[in-house]
Amino acid sequence: MAAASNSPPSASAPQRDTARLLHRYGLLAVLAILLVVASIASPAFLQPRNIQDILTQAAPLGMVVLGQTFVILVRGLDLSVASLMATVAVLATAFRATADYMILPIFLAAILFATLVGLVNGWLVAKRHISPFLATLAVMIILQGVRFAYTGGQPISTLPPGIAVLATGTILGVPINLCVLLVLAVIFGFLLLRTRFGRQVYMVGGNPKAARLVGIPADRITIACYVICSILSGIGGLFLLGYVGTVSNWVGQGYELDSIVAAVIGGVALSGGRGSIVGALLGVLVLLVVSNLVLLLGLPIEAQLIVKGVIVIGASAFYGTQTR
Amino acid sequence: MFCAWPCWRAGPRRRTPVSRPQRSRINHSYTVVIILILLLLVAGSQISDRFLTWRNFSTLFQQMVVLSIASLGQTVVILTGGIDLAIGQLVGSCTVLLANMLDWRPDLLVPAILLLLVFGAGVGLLNGALIVGLRHNPLIVTLGTASALLGATLLYSKVPSGSVPDEMQDMAYGDIFGLPIPAVATLVVFLLCGIWLRYTRSGRAIYFVGGSAESARLNGISVGRVLLYAYAFSGLCSAIAAFFLTARTGIGDPRIGAALTLSSITPVVVGGTTLTGGRGGVIGTLLGAFLVSLLNNLLNYMNVSSFYQWVVQGLIIIAAVGLLGRRNR
Repeated sequence: MAAASNSPPSASAPQRDTARLLHRYGLLAVLAILLVVASIASPAFLQPRNIQDILTQAAPLGMVVLGQTFVILVRGLDLSVASLMATVAVLATAFRATADYMILPIFLAAILFATLVGLVNGWLVAKRHISPFLATLAVMIILQGVRFAYTGGQPISTLPPGIAVLATGTILGVPINLCVLLVLAVIFGFLLLRTRFGRQVYMVGGNPKAARLVGIPADRITIACYVICSILSGIGGLFLLGYVGTVSNWVGQGYELDSIVAAVIGGVALSGGRGSIVGALLGVLVLLVVSNLVLLLGLPIEAQLIVKGVIVIGASAFYGTQTR
Repeated sequence: MFCAWPCWRAGPRRRTPVSRPQRSRINHSYTVVIILILLLLVAGSQISDRFLTWRNFSTLFQQMVVLSIASLGQTVVILTGGIDLAIGQLVGSCTVLLANMLDWRPDLLVPAILLLLVFGAGVGLLNGALIVGLRHNPLIVTLGTASALLGATLLYSKVPSGSVPDEMQDMAYGDIFGLPIPAVATLVVFLLCGIWLRYTRSGRAIYFVGGSAESARLNGISVGRVLLYAYAFSGLCSAIAAFFLTARTGIGDPRIGAALTLSSITPVVVGGTTLTGGRGGVIGTLLGAFLVSLLNNLLNYMNVSSFYQWVVQGLIIIAAVGLLGRRNR
């Protein structure tokens, strides 16, 4: 929509159509090419075991990316997600629970805590008008300090075994956490595409001033997006905790940047108001498939970082030219 | 080049209508930082006898130099309305480069430092070129370069490596005219940068571009070139910061700068530079860096664990930006 209206009048119609098609389906094409290249380059890639591993890893990141998408849609950015994931993980171990029936209270406590953090983020951004970058950065550092002060820097691993099962188990060969991610994606996709709230999110992100003028409670929408992001990161943190097994105070380190990167690869515009959940999740897949491919090709693990950097810059080059 | 704006000429023209209102605004925010610094000094003198000693302050300056010079680069980039998230990793990579080039040999000091500065400025230039060329968010682009740099550095060396000659350690701990060398270096670099920003064409263009890239362009400023300068300068600052860091630690550690990326932003915003660009300055950053270092130093004297120092740092950011005034929105 905005891409078409912003393009210069000199661009001819068929060109514009190609650009729009590329923009919409380019990522799918990239993913398809990646999969073909991967399966040719390494026979191990298409093994069910490997695919399962990729998807199990993708799920927690996917949950965070879902939330990050909401925040980026309203022109925001949440740098506190990774710190929140680790703090929620510490909170989960604070129950010292070993029985499975404690999982429900753990999840409830995590969601409650995440809601609180999201409210703080949203309040700072929407009501105090602090730039999202700084506000969430400050919250990230504060959470980190509180968490370390509580644990004293020691890892803890008292956890109900059920959490590990939830995070690494499979139903009919499909990882459980992937199922959870899909359910969450459907719920929040519905929220974004089929409800008034979702349309308001896009309007606030597209043009906050206009949204206010037509009577949308922009502040409340913004705060709600930050709360959604925090809750999803909290849930993601618990699943990641189950996957890792111990709380090392740094659970989820790097997820704040990875989640933004995945959303950008997936075509969510940092300028707000443009992007979709499906795109963002495809971005996660691209990121993980490439990382996996680097490992399968026998390249050193550090090469992953270089490749990731190149992808990020490539993706921004692609969308940079597409949307202006 | 044709210049549409007469007051746009380089030279000591301080009383132009453009800079006047800005300065009065900034002075106001300096007052807050200075009052906070004075409060900390008073509190510190009550808490420990050793706090207000020359010895403590020369240690403080030794520790401050890395943060303040890295923040200086960040300031210039933020003034253009961008952000540089590659700073920390660039510092880390530079320490590895420098320590491995030197490897105890004092005779290589000058060429190695020159090469280091070229490398830093080169990476900064690359950042700038990617941002200008791809016309995309600086946050994402510098994040990408940081990731690539980390990967490349880890490929070279996973663990801290290299070593520096004793002469270089003197640079970190020595005195010149009775003042610690790092403090003098910080002042010189800040002074040069301040002169650049205030009295030269390219320096002033940085404020213009940050204020409004569109009107800067319409006034005949080459926005792309200004951004290139800013990011190259940031890279250069990272290299200088890396030099002092290597001199102090004596080794090149690929991961040593990781925390610096984000902590380099704190002094900038505490000093009153706005993230939207165009407003702020280097004096604020220097005061901000001093405030942050002083606070950490004081918390150390109070035996507060470094974990709570993080909490305090976060609170400072929120307080500086959100609660002290409406200036930084």
